[in-house]
Amino acid sequence: MTDISDRKQSVVFQPSRTQRVIEALKRDWQLYLMLAPTIIWLLLFLYKPMYGLQIAFKDYSVFRGIAGSPWVGFEHFQTLFDNDQFLRALKNTIVISFWSLLVGFPVPILLALMFNEILNQTFKKTAQTIVYLPHFISSVIIAGIVIASFSPSSGVVNTFLGWFGADPVYFLTKPEWFRPIFIGTNIWQEAGFSSIVYLAAIAGVSPTLYESAVIDGASRWQMMWKITIPSIMTTIIIMLIIRIGNMLEVSFEMIILLYQPATYETADVVNTFIYRQGLQGGQYDLAAAAGLFNAVVAFVLVMSANAISKRYSRTSLW
Amino acid sequence: MKHLTLTAALLMGTTLTVPAFAEGHLPIAEETLELTVHMHHKRYTSYDESWPVEQAARKMTNIHLKDVTVGSNTDNSEEAMNLLLATGKMPDIVGTSRIKDVVFQYGPEGAFLPLNDLIDEHAPNIKAFFDERPEVKAALQASDGNLYYIPYLPDGKYGRAYFIRYDWLETLGLELPETVEEVKAVLEAFRDNDPNGNGKKDEIPYFARQWEELIRLVTLWDGRSSGSDTYHDFFVDDGQIKHPYAQEGYREGMKNLAQWYAEGLVDAEVFTRGSSAREYLLSEDLGGMTHDWFASTAGYNTALADKVEGFSFKAFAPPASISGKRIAEHRRIPIKPDGWAIGYSNDHPVETIKYFDFWFTEEGRNLVNFGVEGEQWTMVDGKPTFTEEFLTNGRPVNSQLYEIGAQLHARGYYQDYAYEEQWSNAFALEGIALYDEGDYLIDQFLGVAMNADEQKIYDKYWSSILTYMKERQQAWILGTGDIETDWDDYVATLDKMGYSQVIKAMQSAYARQYGN
Repeated sequence: MTDISDRKQSVVFQPSRTQRVIEALKRDWQLYLMLAPTIIWLLLFLYKPMYGLQIAFKDYSVFRGIAGSPWVGFEHFQTLFDNDQFLRALKNTIVISFWSLLVGFPVPILLALMFNEILNQTFKKTAQTIVYLPHFISSVIIAGIVIASFSPSSGVVNTFLGWFGADPVYFLTKPEWFRPIFIGTNIWQEAGFSSIVYLAAIAGVSPTLYESAVIDGASRWQMMWKITIPSIMTTIIIMLIIRIGNMLEVSFEMIILLYQPATYETADVVNTFIYRQGLQGGQYDLAAAAGLFNAVVAFVLVMSANAISKRYSRTSLW
Repeated sequence: MKHLTLTAALLMGTTLTVPAFAEGHLPIAEETLELTVHMHHKRYTSYDESWPVEQAARKMTNIHLKDVTVGSNTDNSEEAMNLLLATGKMPDIVGTSRIKDVVFQYGPEGAFLPLNDLIDEHAPNIKAFFDERPEVKAALQASDGNLYYIPYLPDGKYGRAYFIRYDWLETLGLELPETVEEVKAVLEAFRDNDPNGNGKKDEIPYFARQWEELIRLVTLWDGRSSGSDTYHDFFVDDGQIKHPYAQEGYREGMKNLAQWYAEGLVDAEVFTRGSSAREYLLSEDLGGMTHDWFASTAGYNTALADKVEGFSFKAFAPPASISGKRIAEHRRIPIKPDGWAIGYSNDHPVETIKYFDFWFTEEGRNLVNFGVEGEQWTMVDGKPTFTEEFLTNGRPVNSQLYEIGAQLHARGYYQDYAYEEQWSNAFALEGIALYDEGDYLIDQFLGVAMNADEQKIYDKYWSSILTYMKERQQAWILGTGDIETDWDDYVATLDKMGYSQVIKAMQSAYARQYGN
């Protein structure tokens, strides 16, 4: 709405608009200056490289350069969709993301609510630090911990199962176990850190609401359901939309560290497929095509999630 | 001897248009000539002009290499190479690890100078080297038949060998296994009879740092696991390119290995234990047998002498396969894909090739292999010999050499095994002597240079086929699939995925390159 009225004005009062822009720049120059590095970064590292996306439609040679390589149209996309392993990777990506979202998304919210209910400050701080910590450990080390924990001969998990008389299971070579292990690992690593944003949102809820609830005789449980959760709903939905946009971005370095040919069946995702096929094999053009496809799907997902959210909850990213 | 072959080669050579480059025809340039160089390897990510070896080479040749390496801040040479190519400017000399793929693709596109004529006319030592080894020259040809790089050529034949706990054999009163059946019997005894004497059944009869070394055992059933020092590679059988994982011997071997795995003769965690397997299982006195590198594996005999009582983990000859053949499938490849090439914009190609040739002369070869004469080595009985001080200062000899700019694998040169022999572990030398006696080595597949069409077929199908092969391979070992019932379906699937087209493409490249 404002957009249209702005344009009208700009047509009619051209000079005054320019003047106003200069005026605004002068007035808030410190703010614009602080904004500048981000804008420059965005242009330089996210917009300029888009020029290179065209190699997805070219027979790319590094030496000939982007401009010098011949066009091949949709050949690379066709190669991808003719490949059963790409389709399998696509399916795995969607399944893993879906389960990560379903199981993993609520966990940080629950954590944040739980932290919020802890009264003892020392215990609260200690518990928070402990759950944040895995986020700062490198994936390589986490993968090492996972491999050791699930080892059939000396791992914690199999030792524990052994107490109940179960035979040791070589979990990391069983396709049916890969997804639970991977998703569980991710939750363990990231849930604590992701809860920070919800904790911040909870901290922003006005204390007067709780005070009046207490006077009305509300229980803590009721306060959580009727005050805390509705108050942070906007944050939850925005985080959900962002998550949906990143749905195809399964953290593939962790997969590369954990998977085996024996578990490719359930573990191979689009990014690991790109890595093996495209980068190890030097087929940058094919890798670019797969990446572009990924981006387009992600874009559609984010747009739909945003539209749905806008219609039903009146919350949206834009 | 060297002089004789050299002279002979020169005499045989075509009508010489240029005076022969007699040894000692140094310096190469009358006036100091500066050539720019990009040199990248994960051990040294740029060319250090202060390396003593470079300084000595400057004195001898009057050619000064000037470092212009792109991407020194990464240790990934391929990334650095791509950065260099993307700048569009080529230095005079380009040296990097894995240069082969780069020159094979971009040489024919014009990024590098073809070296054939330059070598014939100006590089008698390199030419003599190639004349003696036509298969090496053939392997270096790009798809257009030209040579674009001078490789690092390793010397010394042996790579990995079978190792077993000699002391365990003795404890259990067993002989060294000579056949595949005896290997099985020994592994069973390791599993059941508690050779480490701790009262627990915790021994792991066969283990491997790389799980591919388990697949290596299919050679005991006349199968193949790889044709070169790279895992899962093709091999050549009577002039025909084949892939090991589509052969009958492999089927038989995998069937038996799956059984070994099920019976606990193979480390249950072979797929995930990873690179620390050897260190861990040997120092905990758990591992019985493996297939691994001579030098580093033999080194445990000294490293663990105090920790594990009576520890003796030594090489034994490859056991005879079911048909009675003994082969050592793995060996050092005679040509590495590392080396150097001449950029297309080099204004001094003749001097550059002469400079490349310098490293193949006796002075150059000694310099690159042993370091600077009088500093790291002296001539003893006509052989370059490391000084006592250099060998015994407690630091690994190879790292000391890398530090002075010797043994740089991104430089094209012919290694001299004598350099390594002088500081090899006695146990390793003993094992090598054992393998030398038996002549167990087999020919290596040195790769083919595919043209654009062949490469397209290869790129389109191969990665997926290999993924499928590896998936089935692990499934069979782990027992989630049965090779006997799956085999026909497996072969049919390979064919559906384009296996025969890939083989056909490689075969035509092979025929063009090696003249079959």
